[in-house]
Order: sequence, then C-alpha cells, then structure tokens
Amino acid sequence: MTTFYRRLPRFDYVQPTSLDEALSLLGRYKADAKPLAGGTDLIPQVKGRDMAAPRVVVDLKAIPGLDAITYDATKGLTLGAMATIANVERSVLVREHYPMLSNALTTMASPQVRNRATVTGNICTAVPSADSAPTLLVLEAVLKLVSQKGERLVPITQFFTGPRQTVLTYDELITEIRIPSPPPKSRGVYLKLSPRKSMDLAVVGVAAFVVRDGETCKDVRIALGAVAPTPIREARAESALLGKKLTDESIEEAASAASSECRPIDDHRAAREYRCDMVYVLTRRALTQIKEEAL
Amino acid sequence: MDYAVIGTRVPRVDAREKVTGTAKYAADYSLPGMLWCKVLRSPVVHAKILNIDTSKAERLPGVKAVITAKDFGGWTWGFMATTRDEPPLAMGKVRYLHEGIAGVAAIDEEVAEAATELIKVDYEELPGVFDPEEAMKPGAPVIHDYRPNNVSVEYHWNYGDVEKAFAESYIVREDRFSTGRVTKGYLEPPASLAYYDPSGSITVWAAKQSPYFHYRHLAACFRLPLSKVRVVQPYIGGGFGGTKNDSVAGDFCAVMASKKTGKPVKFIYSQEEELMTSKRRHAMITYSKMGATKDGLLTAVQAKVIAEGGGYTAIGPLSMYLAGASIAIPYKLANFKYDGYRVFTNNPVCAAMRGHGITHTRFAHDLQMEMIAEELGIDFMEMRLRNAIDNPKPGTVYRTVNDVTLNTCGMKEALTAIKEDPIWAEREHAPKRVGSTSFGVGISGTAYVGGARQLGHQSCAAVIRLCEDGTANLLTGATDCGQGSDTVLCMIAAEELGMKLDDVVIKRVDTAYTPCDPGSYGSRVTLLAGQATQIAAAEVRKQLAEAAAKTWNAKPEEIQIRNSVVSLKSNPDKSMTLENLAKIASYSGSGAVIMGKGYSSYGLEPLDFKTGAGNGGTSYSFTAQATRLGVDLETGHTTVTDFLLAHDCGRPLNPIGAEGQNEGGAVQGLGQAIYEEFIIDQGHTRNSTFLDYKMPRSTDIPDIRIIDIITDDPNGPYGAKEASEGSHVSAPPSVMSAIHDATGIWFKEQPVTPEKIVKALKEAGKWGK
Repeated sequence: MTTFYRRLPRFDYVQPTSLDEALSLLGRYKADAKPLAGGTDLIPQVKGRDMAAPRVVVDLKAIPGLDAITYDATKGLTLGAMATIANVERSVLVREHYPMLSNALTTMASPQVRNRATVTGNICTAVPSADSAPTLLVLEAVLKLVSQKGERLVPITQFFTGPRQTVLTYDELITEIRIPSPPPKSRGVYLKLSPRKSMDLAVVGVAAFVVRDGETCKDVRIALGAVAPTPIREARAESALLGKKLTDESIEEAASAASSECRPIDDHRAAREYRCDMVYVLTRRALTQIKEEAL
Repeated sequence: MDYAVIGTRVPRVDAREKVTGTAKYAADYSLPGMLWCKVLRSPVVHAKILNIDTSKAERLPGVKAVITAKDFGGWTWGFMATTRDEPPLAMGKVRYLHEGIAGVAAIDEEVAEAATELIKVDYEELPGVFDPEEAMKPGAPVIHDYRPNNVSVEYHWNYGDVEKAFAESYIVREDRFSTGRVTKGYLEPPASLAYYDPSGSITVWAAKQSPYFHYRHLAACFRLPLSKVRVVQPYIGGGFGGTKNDSVAGDFCAVMASKKTGKPVKFIYSQEEELMTSKRRHAMITYSKMGATKDGLLTAVQAKVIAEGGGYTAIGPLSMYLAGASIAIPYKLANFKYDGYRVFTNNPVCAAMRGHGITHTRFAHDLQMEMIAEELGIDFMEMRLRNAIDNPKPGTVYRTVNDVTLNTCGMKEALTAIKEDPIWAEREHAPKRVGSTSFGVGISGTAYVGGARQLGHQSCAAVIRLCEDGTANLLTGATDCGQGSDTVLCMIAAEELGMKLDDVVIKRVDTAYTPCDPGSYGSRVTLLAGQATQIAAAEVRKQLAEAAAKTWNAKPEEIQIRNSVVSLKSNPDKSMTLENLAKIASYSGSGAVIMGKGYSSYGLEPLDFKTGAGNGGTSYSFTAQATRLGVDLETGHTTVTDFLLAHDCGRPLNPIGAEGQNEGGAVQGLGQAIYEEFIIDQGHTRNSTFLDYKMPRSTDIPDIRIIDIITDDPNGPYGAKEASEGSHVSAPPSVMSAIHDATGIWFKEQPVTPEKIVKALKEAGKWGK
C-alpha cells in the first residue's frame, strides 16, 4: 500500500570511531543494520518507506582515514570509502591522471549532493544508471570488501548482480576503490544523456576507453549505464574495434554493435528503442572524441 | 506621467522576511496540544466502497479521531451549483487513484499514518476509463451517475457562419493538437492548522491563494455562518491556480477532527501526495479547422476541444469557457464555432493553472496559422501582422464576434518590436548548424484575459487606515501568493496618499478583519484589488487635503502631498510633514478616524457561459515572443538559448515585479512545451516525484529579455493589465515554431520531448542527418 510518510522512521544511530567497531556492528546486526555514508540514497529511501526501516544505522563518518584519496604511479589511485564525490571530482591527482573520472562525477546530481555523497555509495546503491559505474568499469576498478571474517578483492565487473543488487553481503563494507594507472597512450570519455542539463538521471551513459599502439587499438573498453539491469561492459562493441584503427567506419561498427547488444527496459523514463538509439549516438560520439584527442 | 512611486523599481515589501527565512508558512504554525492528521488514500482507481472498518485504527494508541465520508453528511462542493460533485472524502465510490477515503488524527504524524494502514476498506473494483475520447464513447464505464455520457461540461458556441466562410476560403487546414498533463510545481505543499474552538468557530492557518473560497467551503461544509469561519493567511509558497484556490481532503479532515477532539489539528501533504492527488492542468485535445484567404487573412475557425477532466468537475466550467472565449483574440476573426467537452476519466482531477484554458487553444491556433502561412508562402511575422487586431483609438473599443471588448491592444506593436529585434531581423545571419545541432528561431503572438471577474466572483475591496504618525495600514482580502501583489498594492496606496512607500504597511489576509475578496487567480489582483486600493487611498487623501486646507485657509485642490511632505501648490514655502498633518486631521475638534474604503468596479459587462459571449475579465494582455533554440538532430535534445518577449501589460507598476512574472510565466510555459508531463498508465501516475516529473532546471533556462509595450488601458489602475499568464501562453507556440524552424517538422503535441523528436526525425528520414 502506498503511504505518504514525510519523516524518517525510528531507528538506532551508532557512530563507530574505528573500522573494527563498524564491522563488528554490521556483523552483529546483519540485515538489520545499514551503513551510512553520505546518506543521499539511504535517507530518502528509508523516509519514503521504499526499504524496511533499519534497526541500526551505522554512520561511517567518524572512522579516521576512510576518506583518503591517494595515487601511486605503480599502484594507481585509491579512493577511500568515504571520499565524497566532490573531493574526488576536484582532486588534482584525479584530474591529472583520470580526467574522465573527474568529468563523469561532475555530471552527477547537484553540487550540494556531491559534497555529501560518496563514490563508494554510488556503487553500493547499484542503480543501473549510476553515473560513476561505466567509468569505473572501463578503468577496471577493483573493490576491496572487508568484513570481520577477512577481506576480498572484487573487480567491479563482477560486483553488480542486478538493479540495486551487488555481491556485497550485509556484514561487509567496501573500504577502497582501487583504480589501476591508465596505460600510456590511453584516452577515455564518459558521456551522459539526460532530459535536463543538470541534476538529472542518465537515460543512457556511455564510457569508452581506448589504448592505442601506434594507430591501432590494442585495448578497447566500452561500458554502458541505464540500459541493462546493471551497468555493463559491452564486449561486442569492444571486439569490433580491437586491433583496428579508429576510423569513422570502425567507430560506426562499434556503435552499432553496442546499440544492438543492449537490452534496456521500456519505462516512463525512456522507451527501449530510444535508449538503444542513444547508445549508438553516444558510443559513436565518445569514440570520435577519443579519436580526435591528441595522444 | 509624473508618478512618485508607480513605475519605480522597488524591492518586494516581503523580501526581508522571505530571504532571512523568518516568513512563516502554513506548515510552520503549531499550537499546544496539537494533533496531526493524515489521509488514507485509495489503492484502486475506480471502485464501489462496500465497507470501511476503522475499528483497528481507532484502537491504535495515540489515535484520537477517525473521519470518513459519513461525517460530512453528504456535503459536496464545486464551481457551479449544477456541478457540486466532489465530496471531502470519497463517498460510496472511488473515482481516481489515491482519492481520500478516511482521515486520522493522532498525537503525531507517524501514528496517524500508521493508523491509516489499519483501516480496512472493502472495494468492488469497477472498470476504469482513462482517455477522454474513450470515455465519451457509448458503453464506456460511467464515472458519475448524473453525467451518464461522462461529459462533465459541454459548450456549443457558434458565431458568424463558419460553413460559408470555409466554403469561400482559399485554404482550409484541419489538425489535431494536444497539451499535456502538467502540474504547478510550487514548493509549498498543501498544509493547514485548524482549530474548531469551544465557541463553535473555526480558525485555520491554511496555504490558500484564495482564502475566501476556503472560508465559504468551510462554512458550507460545517454549516456555520461565515462570521464564524476565520482563515488566517500565512505566507504562501506559490500557487499557480488549481489546488490552492480550492480545498483538499486534508483541510476538511483536519477541521472535522478538531471539532471531534476539541484539539487543534494540523496536516501537511508529502510532495508525492501533492503530485499524485492535487489538481493539475487539464490535458486538452483540440481538433482545429482553420480557413484563410489567399493573402493569409483568417476566415473561420472551428474548434472541437476535448479536455480530460479526471474524477470530478472542479473549476472545469471555467476552463472550458476560457478555452473557447479566447478564440477570436488576438487575430481578427469573423466566424468561429466552438464545441468544448470536459470529460470525466479515472485520472486525478484537473483544474485551473496559470494560462488557464487559453493556453490550449492559443497554442493550437497560433501554430495552425503558421502552418497555413507556410502553405501560402507568407512570412510568419507578416501573417501575424496582417491578422492582428489593431490598437483601438483612445475612447473606442474593438469588439470581437463574441463580444469580447478590447480597449487597448498592443499586439501589432509587440510583433513589430520582435520583428525589428536582431533575434528575428538578423536570424538568417545566425549560424543554422553547428555539429549535429540545428538552430531555429520561432515566434508567437498571443492574448490573455486579466482582471478576471466571472459570475458570482466580483469585487475586490480595500480599507486604508491612517495612523496619527502619518503612516498607514492597508487591509485587503487579496492574497500575495508569491506574485508580488502586496508590493504593488502598497505602491498604489503610497502613490495616492503621497506617502513614502515604507510608511504603508500591509498584513496578510485574515477573514475576520480584512474585506472579502474573490482571490488570486485570473491575473486579477493588481487590477481589481489595485483599483480598490486606489479608491480607498484617494478617500484618505481627500480627508487629509481637507484638514490641510482648513489649517492653511486654502482650498483642498491646492494641497499637494508627495513623499510624505504636505505643501501648498501656490506657495511652496508653506509646508509640513505628513506626520504633522495626520495629527491635525486625527485630533482636531472631537477627533477623527481617518479611513478610506474602496471596491473595484472595472469590467461589469455581462458574460454568458452558455453562448461564450462577453468578457471574463476587465482587459486583455498581448504578448509576442521570439525563441531561439538548437535541436540536436541525433539525440533530439532541445536547448533553448533565447526568449524575447514583447508584452503589453498596459503599464508595469513595479517593473521588477512585472519582469519577474513575465520570466516565470515563460519558463513555466517552456516546461510545458518540451519537458513536463505526468505519465499515467491506467490511472496510475508513473512519475510522481520531481526526479521523474521533469521541470526545467535553472541550467535549462534561456536568456530572457522583456520589452514593455505601453498601452495604458482605461480598465486598470494607472493603465495596468496583466503580466505572467500572457507570457505563459506565448511560450509553447513560440518554442514549437522554433523547433519547426530547426527541424522542418511540425510538432502538435506537448511536450515535445527528445524521444518524440528522434521518432519524428526517423519517420522523416532526417535522424542524425
């Protein structure tokens, strides 16, 4: 039944000051606990009764060091779980080494929300249109998942399992997003299409990332948002370009492949046909932009 | 004109409270011991209510009262005596999704909402009908027994001889146009704090833009004399017609719960509840047939308009009147036929919104005129100039075939201003194509009625009370719901009194103290409350002038009051402060109470809903608009870069306010044209949040320039006519005209979303080309 609550339900709020304490709370309460980062997804969902009220909300903001953003030429970029979208977007390191990530984050929500929300939270909420996801997919990010029992590294390509579903278990937290250093001669672009210029959901998001050897593409990664139950890598489009030069023809072929492979839903946000058409347009634009950028 | 205050650019009188956050809105009020009210809403779209079992809800700790339809004894309300079909809570039958079924008052909001979930309602579901054209067909599910054909309002008007005119026309076109289901998008949801006190009087602090409608509704519903109903007006967070001109389920439930419990009761709708249940604009289909001569002069228009009404009639009779009555303005037209049908469906109820009624048909006809011009090879601007009504010479009147009378008409002057502006004059020199984006420039020329006064809703009134220190209190029943009318009314009072603007103070409406007023709708407040204020102020000034004349042994005509200084025209050395004069006037002899009262008298011409003849207001505004935009031929996205509006509001009294109103109206029109629409599937609104109901963001708004066309209408204070609804009406056809210029395709359905553009481009073989 539809309800029209305006305020939050009652729950306990805990603010642990160490990761161990947080993990122990999650281990104890399991499905009854919800970790709180920026809260820009959790709070509206709980308020609207879109999810059952948690018994305990575990606020991660007081855990020292979780918001670190570090870069090392060999290890690449590490984003702490509590790094806000705004801080990642504005990080000099990110702008220098991963400009496509910075650009993708700029398309998200409003400045106020970006100041509050975290990149990790965007990934954990796991909506198909998550704007950070296609970029993290093509950058082949790896997520560090930690629980009281231990830790595991999960490539982001294996993280999403369905709309708002991931491999993350109730007692686990993502503590780091690790993004390898982009290979030399690589270029990446994220393009987002939404009805309005700002503060809007992607109808389609396309991330393209190409590594070239001379003029041929020796690695091609294309990821799509909002056109499948999860953000996805688009293997057929990628292989259409692999080993080829970036030309209008090869780009066209890859864009067509991406468009014919995607399986979006038909809903009030956009019709399936339009989303597929836009995958074609955006993939072509992204690849053309890469082609035209000087290496 | 040598005005001291009128025409100056002044900040709003309520700016400080609003900017600092101290302005109190309905949701900010509370009283000790207050209960909270929530409304149980129907999960089905069309059903008989077989039984309502409230026992479990009543037993929930913290619940103090449960209200159902039977508490209201069968009372219903509506715009006309013959259309009072809406009950406070669904009575025997549910007609749209989330219609109110029961109300609960409890110690807090959460307990009240939880209690609604314990109310057990047995429904016998009925087949629903959701498309007005389907609903008109024989055999369609019947929504109200008193309208077995589902037509809630019907008009058939016929002027001139359309058949003969079409037969004699060089060209005749027939097209189908439609407007979408749009909402107002104000920030403040419906809310009220209600107290039915032990003396048997009701006091409410309610978010209403027309508090005297609500006052009548409450008096009628609770069978009380009007003198025992007090609506205290908080600040209002936007209105735009419809919901805040009306009463909602929560209003009646809160008062009833207060009556039952003896406690104050408050409610606030959630944003989603507002979007799902509150009254939105009608979606209208216009089948239009238009004829013209070889030279492009319009010969006849025949319009069949079918409006989706939703589950109840509400203000529908007026919506359909306005859609038809505006057909013969702003272009000369000797023959027109109008068949208007407002049809019940099992969708949420439709009512008034900014640009009321007129936006639908003016959109259709302005665009159809361009289509005819295109076929005839006539420039779109030239087509409009050939047909536009001329500005009547002072003292004369232009009368349309249905007796709409214009004292002033700035249509041609407005069109000419656009024609001469570089946006239009140099459009061929601007880039037509950059990458995949094709640019286009479009125009429109539209009219809107202001100073609405229809049937029972008549005068505005004002009272001015002079204070002994030379300041004044202005009392009116007119509501500033955000449009800036309190500022304009203070300016008018200050102008007439010769007082400094800061010395005139206006307070919010309180029906226990302020004079009765029809409300804020139909662009009427500046015109009618403005005239009342002008008259009241003149009465005070007259008393002041007499007192000064007596003091100086002069004639009252010789007294000059300006900027709170009183002087003698013939001898400028003779002067005193207004404060001094106020003391003299108040304390001389036995003393006096210096007050003035006034009521509006403009626009008393008759009006006939049955024939569509006459004036629904005092005067008419005219707007010419140019729009420049780019359409991405691959994604279908439209980026509007420029709006230029030449608007005849007679004379802007507070130019900042008029500009703001024109800009706001145009932006809301832009939303309706290309962004906004409720998507409804079998009576279920699929986009009931502002995440998915796409109002344009500030980053989507074009540069907007306004050119004031001054016509000084005799039926408005200082020559003023309306501003804001006219620009709302001019925006959609201008945007469509520009999209056509950019794409070569005529879009006849609002909103023109990127998806619709891509679909049309594909059909035309132009996608991505």
